[in-house]
Amino acid sequence: MRGFPLPIHLFSVTRIGVTMQRTTHRSRLLARPVAVALAAAVALTASSCAKSEDDASGDKKPSAAADAGQKVVTPKPGSKTCTIEAYGGKKIDLEDATVGFSQSEKEANPFRIAETQSIKDEAARRGVKLLTANAQSQFSKQISDVQDLLAKGADLLVIAPLNSDGWDPVLQAAAAKKVPIVTIDRKINATACKDYVSFIASDFVEQGRRAADQMIEATGGKGEVAILLGSAGNNVTTERTKGFKERVAEKAPGLKVVFEQTGDFTREKGQQVTEQLIQSKPGIKGIYAENDEMGLGAVAALKGAGKKAGDVKIVTVDGTRNAVQGVVDGWISGVIESNPRFGPLAFQTLDTFTQGKEVPQDIVIQDSAYDADNAEQDLGKAY
Amino acid sequence: MAEATLKTVPLDRTRVLRWLQTYGVYAGVALLLVVNIVITPHFLSAENFRTQAVQVAPVIIVALGMALVIGTEGVDLSVGAVMALAASVTALYLGYGLLPALLVVAVFAAGAGLANGALVAFVGVQPIVATLALMVGGRGLALVLLPQLEDLRNPALASLGSGDVLGVPYLILIAAVLALLVAFVVRRTTFGRQLLAIGDSRPAAQLAGLPVRRVLIVVYVVCALLAAVAGVLATARLQASDPTSLGNLMELSAITAVVVGGTPLTGGRVNIAGTVAGAVLIQLLTATLIKHDLPPSWTQIAQAIVIVCAVYAARGRGKR
Repeated sequence: MRGFPLPIHLFSVTRIGVTMQRTTHRSRLLARPVAVALAAAVALTASSCAKSEDDASGDKKPSAAADAGQKVVTPKPGSKTCTIEAYGGKKIDLEDATVGFSQSEKEANPFRIAETQSIKDEAARRGVKLLTANAQSQFSKQISDVQDLLAKGADLLVIAPLNSDGWDPVLQAAAAKKVPIVTIDRKINATACKDYVSFIASDFVEQGRRAADQMIEATGGKGEVAILLGSAGNNVTTERTKGFKERVAEKAPGLKVVFEQTGDFTREKGQQVTEQLIQSKPGIKGIYAENDEMGLGAVAALKGAGKKAGDVKIVTVDGTRNAVQGVVDGWISGVIESNPRFGPLAFQTLDTFTQGKEVPQDIVIQDSAYDADNAEQDLGKAY
Repeated sequence: MAEATLKTVPLDRTRVLRWLQTYGVYAGVALLLVVNIVITPHFLSAENFRTQAVQVAPVIIVALGMALVIGTEGVDLSVGAVMALAASVTALYLGYGLLPALLVVAVFAAGAGLANGALVAFVGVQPIVATLALMVGGRGLALVLLPQLEDLRNPALASLGSGDVLGVPYLILIAAVLALLVAFVVRRTTFGRQLLAIGDSRPAAQLAGLPVRRVLIVVYVVCALLAAVAGVLATARLQASDPTSLGNLMELSAITAVVVGGTPLTGGRVNIAGTVAGAVLIQLLTATLIKHDLPPSWTQIAQAIVIVCAVYAARGRGKR
C-alpha cells in the first residue's frame, strides 16, 4: 500500500484483479472444446485452400507396377531353419487367414511409406485379410497394438519392431494362441523358432561394403573421403560404418577416411556438416552419406559452394526417388538400396511356413543399387 | 547500493565475475577466433566466415525473440515447433507464389504467438508450461499439414536462401537488420521499457498501470514471428521443407545463446549484442570441433561447459 498514496490507484488495481479472475474462470471452462475446435478448423482450412508447387503434376505416388519386389539372398549352407512342428502351431491356409501388421514409426518418411504399402499391396494381391496398426514411434503403443491385433483375431503376425527388447508380454500372448510371428527390418531379442519364426531384413554391414565398392570405383581408390554418420547409438549407423571401413581397408588402402561427423540422418545437418567439411578440407574427393537425406544435404552444400556435379563423389544408402534422381543429374555417384518392400517376402515366408515346409530363421533381402548406368531406367523402382 | 558494497569490500572475485558476465562472451568469441586462425587450416577466408554467418543466422533470429521473452521473465519452448510449422505452411502455399505464402506463414506464426501470449497473460499459466503445449502441438500440426519432406523449386525462395547483395548473403543481412531493430526497440522505445519493467516485477508493473497483458502478448507474437522468419530462411536454404527435423532442439540453442550472452533468466534485463555473440560463440565452437573431426559427443560436452561458465558468471551478479 505504501507505494500508492492515491485511492484511485487502489480502485483500479482491484478492478484489474476482478476482471482477471473472471477471464481465468471463463477461459478454463472454454479451453478444451475451443482448443479442439480451433485445431480442427486450422487443419481443415489450411489443407482445403492450400496450393503447393506439386499440385499440378501429381506424379508423386510411386506406381504399383514399379514395385520391384524382392529376392532372397541364397542362405549359407547350414543356416538354421524353422518348421511348424518345431514351432508348435497348426497348419492353416494363408488365403483364409487374417494377418496382423504392426508398423513401428509413423509413415512420415519414404522408407516407412513404401514398407507399409508393400505389405498392403501383397495382402491385396493374395486376397488375405489384413489388419494394420501404427505405433507412431511409441513402444508402449506398439505393444498394445500387437495385443489388439491378437484380440481382433489375427492368425499370423508381421511386426516391424521399434525396439529389440521388451517384447515378452506380446510373445507370451502370441505363444498362448500359437500365432506365428515374422519380424521385419529390425530384430527382436528372443529365441528364433520358439518366440518368433523368422527375421527378414537387409544386411546393413553388406550395404556399407557395397557403398565402399562404389566409392572406390568413383574415386579410383585414391584420395581422402568423408563419412556423414547417422544418428549416434543406432545399429544402422554402426553397421553401415563398419562395412564401409572394412571394405576400404581391404581393397583400397590408398583411400583414407579423414572425416567422420554425424548428420543425424537429416538433410539440414548433412548440409551444415558438409559446408564445414569442404571449407576445412578443400581437397576432399568423396563423401559417403549413410542415408539419402544427408547425401542430398551434401549436394545442397556443394551447390551452395559453387562446385559442379561430380567434383566431389557422393555415395549414399537407401534408394529414395530424390537420391536416384540425383544420380541421374550427375551429383551423386551411386546409391545402395535398402529395400523396404518386405511384403512379398514376408507373405511368401508365412505361406511356406503354414503349409508345413521349413523356412530359414534369418532371411536377408537382396538390395539393388543405382549408378550412372542404370539410374535413369530404374528411377521408377526407387521409392 | 552495489557500488557501495564494492567500495567497502574490494572483492576481486566479484569484479572478475561481473567483467566475465558483461564481456566474457566477446572474450570467448575472440579466443576461439584466434585459436582457429592458428590451428585450423583455411580458416582465414571470406568463404569460411560467410559459411559460419549463414549457418548461425537462423539461430540468431530465433534467439532475438527468445531474449525478449526471457526479458519478461518468461521462456518460449515452442520456437522450434513454430519453425517447423513455418516450413510446412510455406510448402503448402508456395503454389500461390512466395509473398502470399509468407503472409500465410505470418498468420500461422502470429496465431501461435497469440496462443502462447494469451495463456501466459490472461490464463496465468507459467510460460514454460504454456509454451510446452505448443512445442508438442505445433510440430504435430506441422506434420499433419505436411507429413513428409517436400522439395521446393520456387526460384524466389531459392534466391532468398542463397542469393546475396554485394557478396553478403540475404540471410546475414536479414539477421543483422532484425538484431539492430530489436536492440533499438529494447533500448529506445516505451515498449522496450515496459517489457523490462514487467520482467523486473510483474506485480509492480501492473500496479504502476502498465499494459502488462498487451505487452506480454505482443512479446510472444514477436517471438513466434521471428521463429517463423528463421524457419522460412532455413527452408529456403535447404530448398526443401522438412517439418520432421527442422528446428529440432532450436529452443535450447536459442536459450543457450541468450544466457551465454549475459541476459539473466530472471528477467528485467536484455542484452541483444551479447545474445548475438552468444550464438556466434556456440557456432564457432561447433565449427571448430567439426573441422577438426572430433567426436560429435565432444560438441555437446563443450557446449555444456560454456553454459555452466555462463551460469556461474551470472550467479555472481545475482548475489551482489
